[in-house]
Amino acid sequence: MRSFSSLLSCIAVLSSFAAAELNLSQPLLSKQVLASTFKPPQVFKNVNLVRTTNLDKGFPRETINVIIENVDAKPQSEYYLPFESSLISRVGGLEVKDKKSPEKGALRVEVVGFDTASSTEFYLIHLPTPLAPKEQQTLSISYSVLSALKPVPAQISQADKQYVQYTFSVYTPSAYLTEKQKTKVKFPSADVPDYTTVSAELNAEKKADPQKQGSTFSYGPYDNVPAGAEELVSVRYEFTKPIAHASLLERDIEVSHWGGNLATEERYWLSNLGASLKNHFSRVEWQKQSYMNPPTTALKALNVPLAAGALNPYFTDDIGNVSTSRFRTGKRESNLELKPRYPIFGGWKYSFRVGWDADLNTYLRKLSTGESYVLKVPFLEGPKSPEGIQYERIHLRVILPEGATNVKYSTSVPIVDSHTDIHKTFMDTIGRSSLTLTAINLVDDFRDRDLIVTYDYPWTAGFRKPIVITLGAFVVFTAAWVVGNLDTSIGKKKVA
Amino acid sequence: MAAPASDTLLQQFTGRKTRGVLRFVILGLIAGAAVSSRLFSVIRFESIIHEFDPWFNFRATKYLVQNGFYSFWDWFDDRTWHPLGRVTGGTLYPGLMVTSGVIYHALRALTLPVDIRNICVLLAPGFSGLTAFATYLLTSEMVASPSAGLLAAAFMGITPGYISRSVAGSYDNEAIAIFLLVFTFFLWIKAVKNGSMFWGALTALFYGYMVSAWGGYVFITNLLPLHAFVLICMGRYSPRLYVSYTSWYALGTLASMQIPFVGFLPIRSSEHMSSLGVFGLIQIVGFVEYVRVQLPNKQFQTLLRALVFVIFVVAFGGLVVLTVSGTIAPWSGRFYSLWDTAYAKIHIPIIASVSEHQPTAWPAFFFDLSMMIWLFPAGVYMCFRSLTDEQVFIVIYSVLASYFAGVMVRLMLTLTPIVCVASAMAFSQILDTYLDAKIPEQGAKENGSSDPAKVAAAVLPDGLRSTRNPLVGIYSYASRLTVIGASTVYLMLFVLHCTWVTSNAYSSPSVVLASRLPDGSQHIIDDYREAYYWLRQNTPDNAKVMSWWDYGYQIGGMADRPTLVDNNTWNNTHIATVGKAMSSREEVSYPIMRQHEVDYVLVVFGGLLGYSGDDINKFLWMVRIAEGIWPEEVKERNFFTQRGEYRVDEEATPTMKNSLMYKMSYYNYNSLFPAGQATDRVRGVRLPAEGPQLSTIEEAFTSENWIIRIYKVKEPDNFGRDHQSATAFDKGHKKKRASKRKGPRVLRVE
Repeated sequence: MRSFSSLLSCIAVLSSFAAAELNLSQPLLSKQVLASTFKPPQVFKNVNLVRTTNLDKGFPRETINVIIENVDAKPQSEYYLPFESSLISRVGGLEVKDKKSPEKGALRVEVVGFDTASSTEFYLIHLPTPLAPKEQQTLSISYSVLSALKPVPAQISQADKQYVQYTFSVYTPSAYLTEKQKTKVKFPSADVPDYTTVSAELNAEKKADPQKQGSTFSYGPYDNVPAGAEELVSVRYEFTKPIAHASLLERDIEVSHWGGNLATEERYWLSNLGASLKNHFSRVEWQKQSYMNPPTTALKALNVPLAAGALNPYFTDDIGNVSTSRFRTGKRESNLELKPRYPIFGGWKYSFRVGWDADLNTYLRKLSTGESYVLKVPFLEGPKSPEGIQYERIHLRVILPEGATNVKYSTSVPIVDSHTDIHKTFMDTIGRSSLTLTAINLVDDFRDRDLIVTYDYPWTAGFRKPIVITLGAFVVFTAAWVVGNLDTSIGKKKVA
Repeated sequence: MAAPASDTLLQQFTGRKTRGVLRFVILGLIAGAAVSSRLFSVIRFESIIHEFDPWFNFRATKYLVQNGFYSFWDWFDDRTWHPLGRVTGGTLYPGLMVTSGVIYHALRALTLPVDIRNICVLLAPGFSGLTAFATYLLTSEMVASPSAGLLAAAFMGITPGYISRSVAGSYDNEAIAIFLLVFTFFLWIKAVKNGSMFWGALTALFYGYMVSAWGGYVFITNLLPLHAFVLICMGRYSPRLYVSYTSWYALGTLASMQIPFVGFLPIRSSEHMSSLGVFGLIQIVGFVEYVRVQLPNKQFQTLLRALVFVIFVVAFGGLVVLTVSGTIAPWSGRFYSLWDTAYAKIHIPIIASVSEHQPTAWPAFFFDLSMMIWLFPAGVYMCFRSLTDEQVFIVIYSVLASYFAGVMVRLMLTLTPIVCVASAMAFSQILDTYLDAKIPEQGAKENGSSDPAKVAAAVLPDGLRSTRNPLVGIYSYASRLTVIGASTVYLMLFVLHCTWVTSNAYSSPSVVLASRLPDGSQHIIDDYREAYYWLRQNTPDNAKVMSWWDYGYQIGGMADRPTLVDNNTWNNTHIATVGKAMSSREEVSYPIMRQHEVDYVLVVFGGLLGYSGDDINKFLWMVRIAEGIWPEEVKERNFFTQRGEYRVDEEATPTMKNSLMYKMSYYNYNSLFPAGQATDRVRGVRLPAEGPQLSTIEEAFTSENWIIRIYKVKEPDNFGRDHQSATAFDKGHKKKRASKRKGPRVLRVE
């Protein structure tokens, strides 16, 4: 499996890179297209809106808590959330919850857009129960924006601090009138050399805008902002950490009933979006620096926490094994410490592959009703770090045993595409069923989400392979016997 | 090792089938041992392609597998020898790649999707099992005793002389060529013995395969005619020889001409003339034989003498005329160096610079062949005793291969099979004699002239009392046990030696270096791949990399970037250009690099780690090769001090210190040490306190242990200045400002 896919990945490198690069211009896969004249019906208003922008990680994480009110005469259940079309392709992991009852889980959300090249596209939030006129409901909307931080200056020296700039609108984009709103920006440190000040006249309390409080800035409050209003501000702050960005992650999970094994392989196309080096890389400086271990923009190591019981890990890239990895096993969890061949500075790339095995019993359960199985695996594993990692595109493939049918899945991760097809590998006659799921713009906050796959696997299917191999060997021996008994000599037969 | 012995024991009371099965099992085990003893490097390191040339073969195989056979055949590679490119499809021996490709597709068809890299890595061990089998077949043709064949197979399976070129990952032409060599010889012997056109055609078929696989096919091309020639001279001409030789030559030559790289060489180059000559000779001899039957003896003698003289004069004269007129290509340089070991050093430094083209040091014979080196003459001697047609072959092969193995380290490989065969014959003779439990009757002993005991008795003078009435007879258990015990010990020592040599000398991939940490755990120094992968990931896809030709194939394979020169070394001038760029001053090198669109320059520097295979140690070859083309501009003498020493420290000559190679190796190196303490651990010298300054190139990447250093060639200056003055200006500017501050400030304070 490993060897097979390594070759494939060699070939796939170029093609998948191309696919990954195209991500921004590609339309999202599942969406509903609206007429270009579409304007969301003004049936709601935002009574109060508080937005928190968290800049701790290498990607901004936005949380919007909004109290909405139905201003229409009829009960309404469709709430639109607008984004600029250049932004919507970088918005990931958008989830909406009812603030009052978060235990009910996320609300159903889908992307809707105009058919022409419009500047605005929408997320459509379906409220589980239509909101009666004059009723209010609190929504908690959270998402992250990928590739949003721009290093300024774009080139720094190897030991310099890195500053990044984030541009956003202080008026939270909304399709409805917002009566009162406020934006809080949380920085990783108090070192914020540049930021846009908004004129005090716009501010509801006529105070200096923004208000600073340690490493937190707050813009607003603003009163009665009309639908679609925008006021762009930029903040530039210190972020001397790598901005890890995977343009593509391919993740294969292979189930083997015979081996009792769950094999996982992940292939990353990783890059650092931080500021690039002004001069070239200097090994002397790097070695001197490594004694002090100061914060750096280079990505030195990746920690991949794995579930307990993970076995046989490997860490390779296109030209073979990377010897600088360490695997620590523990009772409660295992940790795979990966060190890339070279420190990944801003603008540098590194693609690699990791994989490991695990005992299938931990993940697979046989249902009491007949020959169905339930597989529960994490949707995303991969490195964990305080500065986070963003995934532009994830292809998750679950390869089930040969003969598995009736494959169904469920997960709380937003999926843009899914299909099942056949994957042919070692000694397969009809091929294994594989389920491919595609997700875009995810961040490592989604590490703990599960994927549940159910499938039917009759016990007879398990004997297909041994029977085929036995028959094959039998045919070979018979053929050898027949050939061995042939007499092809031209001359007269000698009589012994 | 005891298996063949037990086979002989069992021979007496088991049926033919049982022995057949037993032999099959033993051969299987030998193949298993052969394969597994070559896996040291895979187990210690990983499944990785070794050294330099295999990286090209691997890259070519990948190309073949991805693009199919026909585009491989027509492959023009523009990523090597920039800007010339290389007609790769027409300048390689495709046998190896096609073999792997066929295996790859066959496994695919069996739904076994094995990675092509693993096929390439394991091809050589796999074929070594087949070589052992082929050696068994060849030896079995030579002697009646089946144990000799099994012993020879076992010897061939584990002898270091062959393992050196066939460990896992050593994906080179020799990986399959030695099997083909031995098997072709087996088929040839079979053909000569049977006089069968079928076996002759099979010989030609495998000869064609061999031609497609390795340049060493010339060895077969000359050895088979020589065998035929010697047989004719010995008066052993027979229709069998005629049939087998002509069918081999006609079909084999046609087959060999199908390889584009060989093309019309078989009828044009001197190396192939002997086979053509013998082909002609054998026709004449055949004709003469026919005439002899028809004519009375006296007339025939006269006719024969006249005929021999005329033909000799015509053939030799024709050869000379054709060679002089250029119709027949003269001998290639590598061939001249076979006759005169000093030839290459004087005329073709590029051939001499390759370590495997050096003459063999005599301990290498023992190192690679162990006890077989003294069993080998015994085996050859035994061939002289009966001297059948096939045993003549062994004698010729031994003499020729021994000479060649002494001339070139690399040709030890061709000697190894015959050493295995001959020593197995000698060894099995001992075992067969002493393991035979039967005591022959007195009368039989008198008659048995081939009985070694009898021979020994005949050699010893009769007068000695001890021989007249031996105290301990040759058939006593004591003497048997002694001899068998000693043989067993020798065999065990042989296995030990082979394992030790394989494990210590031949199982290092040379791409990764292993060292031990203080706690005993293995630490892998992976600088090559670190730098190559950096190039692969972080430079533009068509960034040209200039390096010494040794690293060309690796850069092509691992970094996937175009190179200027590589291990193919087909264009000496291009290599000399790179040598000149490396050994000249920056002012001279920069235009050369710009003209060749070089983006990055890669050097190997072992000074920090004490890695002796680095570029400073190879530097003199670059100088010599460059001097061969530009004797006016690059002079080897200038790199040596007045006293003729090659130095890199304070005493180094200005030419040395100003050469690009020196500067690139030591740039910034002294800032790693306290002032004035910088030490080169390979040369063991302290370096000048002030390190070299670079102006036309800048350091782009240095690997963890400084083994690989990559420099970026600067773009032309924006203001149109040359880089030297631009750098000087930048530096001077700073200095000027500093001095200004000091000067005027004092004045202004007043």
